[in-house]
Amino acid sequence: MLLAITGTELTQSLVIGTVNGAVYALIALGLVLVYRSSGIFNFAQAEFGTVAVYGAYFSFTYWSFPYVVAAIFGLACGIAAALATERFVIRPLAQGPKVTLLVATAGIALLSIGTAFWRTGDNALRFFDPLTQWEGARVAGVQVSGQRILTLVLLVVAVAALTAFFRSPYGLAVLAASQDADASALVGLDVKRISMLVWGIAGVLGAGAGILLQGGNAFTPGAITSLALIPGFTAAVIGGLTSLPGAVLGGLVIGMLESFGRLSTFDAIPGASSVSVFVVLLLVLLVRPEGILGGRATT
Amino acid sequence: MTATDPTLDVELPDPTTEVDAFTTPDERPSPLGWAARGVAWLALAWLILLYPGNIASPFEVPAFDANRMSEAAIFAIIGLSLNVLIGYAGQVSLGHQAFVGIGAFTSAYVVTDLTQEVVLGVLVAALVGAVQALLLGLVSLRLTGLYFALVTLVYGVMAQQSIFAIESFTGGTAGKIAPRPTGFESDYRYYYFALLGLAAVLLIDRRMLRTKGGRALLALRENPRVAQTWGIDTKGYTLFAFGIAGLFAGLGGGLLAHRDLQVVANPFDFNLALVFVLMTTVGGLRNRVGVVLGSIFFAFLRNGYLVEKLRLEEGIGPIPGPLGAIDMSPEFAPLVFGPLLLLVVLTRLPGGFGQLARPFEEWLAGRRFRWVEADEEVTINDVRA
Repeated sequence: MLLAITGTELTQSLVIGTVNGAVYALIALGLVLVYRSSGIFNFAQAEFGTVAVYGAYFSFTYWSFPYVVAAIFGLACGIAAALATERFVIRPLAQGPKVTLLVATAGIALLSIGTAFWRTGDNALRFFDPLTQWEGARVAGVQVSGQRILTLVLLVVAVAALTAFFRSPYGLAVLAASQDADASALVGLDVKRISMLVWGIAGVLGAGAGILLQGGNAFTPGAITSLALIPGFTAAVIGGLTSLPGAVLGGLVIGMLESFGRLSTFDAIPGASSVSVFVVLLLVLLVRPEGILGGRATT
Repeated sequence: MTATDPTLDVELPDPTTEVDAFTTPDERPSPLGWAARGVAWLALAWLILLYPGNIASPFEVPAFDANRMSEAAIFAIIGLSLNVLIGYAGQVSLGHQAFVGIGAFTSAYVVTDLTQEVVLGVLVAALVGAVQALLLGLVSLRLTGLYFALVTLVYGVMAQQSIFAIESFTGGTAGKIAPRPTGFESDYRYYYFALLGLAAVLLIDRRMLRTKGGRALLALRENPRVAQTWGIDTKGYTLFAFGIAGLFAGLGGGLLAHRDLQVVANPFDFNLALVFVLMTTVGGLRNRVGVVLGSIFFAFLRNGYLVEKLRLEEGIGPIPGPLGAIDMSPEFAPLVFGPLLLLVVLTRLPGGFGQLARPFEEWLAGRRFRWVEADEEVTINDVRA
């Protein structure tokens, strides 16, 4: 039975896994960024993406913005959602227990999903055009759309930019504030502004992931959360929660695990994809709890 | 009120109540005050014990309402389960829908396929819940921090897509039949069965805090490092809390299964897990009355029951917006107002519903009606994570 996997099926699922993994990696990058700078598990990360998609969709379809302006407006909506989260929820609770912050971000996610359901109806499918009309390329017999190739390219750009950021004075300030906020404030760093900066970047990553994932696909309220939040979190944990390359590696691993789970060999096992993801998460936590690339000094 | 723990030879104050007010005689209520309190107690007893059973009610209580009240009692059990985790152990479970759902299917399986008594089915469900929580806890406690939340999150999704899809266990999309216990077949009678479960959970929860394990958990919550220097086994007692929480969740699931008469996998999704966390936190962590009130409130909010019951939908009505007026369907009310309430409670009212209910509790216990600030306990920083 196990021998039934053909070479083509395997390469095809490798390609699909990489393509899906790129979006998980974008979400995971945002999660790692926030965790590294403030130790918060941000359950609203994927919702920034949903807000962005709805912003872009409404401004394009109803208010007839030009496409590029609509996409930028969507991005701005996602960033605004992230900044509002920081200002009205994270900052007042900054001294509170971490468990409270976790519950609060989960509450923001649910509020966003609930509002979208309420304002747009339960099964209203929406559609936002893809960012690029290029039909993409055939890789190993799988048609990879231009949007997906763009996602991979932007993922590489995002990792490079974030790595550069953490080496810049601003990035060092973020790391300093994460280690000791009081001491950082004493040497003259504006801790509040640093926190805003981190959440703003997280908003960009979340919103970007949302528009890249949903452009060209029909979506419903809470779409990005249900599609990418949980794989994104798993990816971040497997990668080590503090490591940016780890987040990308984790995202690709999760994407491939999911697509291997859909191989015809595993048809007999219900939900083979999610079982394999869960098993790998348990294995990583048992064998190397600090994650594949975690536990190192910051880059 | 003081309690003597039979296993200890010292008399210890009850951690859940305030200092005895009767030491100052002028605080004693007047005869009229006693009468008012008596009436309030009677009304409360009627509301909890008689009204849902359609006994001594001036009007006919629909069976549907009784059914919703059973659900509220079961939600209270689940809320108390999460309270053990979030309130006592400082950990979150985001896969509680899976514990509850697996409990529901286990109980249905034991009763329908193995033809056992319902009571046994529910107990097996509780045990299965405890075992699951312990196993997940063992893995996630290898790291300090809130890893239990992430492990349970992924576990919940896995359960939903995989365990709930095993046909022989869950009966596929058709679901599994879960008959009610003999003597509790009607919706009114079943309420008392659920209430029995809630009473048991409340009692266990209350007694647990007075055992060595309960005290260790309280110390851990205050400051894990100090607790450790006293020789308290941090991981061991956190695991103990996971086990108790799983036990309660499984029990709640079993009771839910037999209330619905048929278990289907659909409702046990991630949103439900978030609602469980919301109702516990909004209710007020570490406050049994608050958690129960919060759970009841959110159970009634589900599917717009409370909105319809109070005829609020006219008030909410169609809201004009830039995209044209869109009606608010009552079933979305909990999804919007629940999280809003949560954020308000977290930032402004750390004691939640429990804090609001405190003066009434005090009054009912024969003390003065006094608004109080948030408990010192509730706002203490948890340095676990």
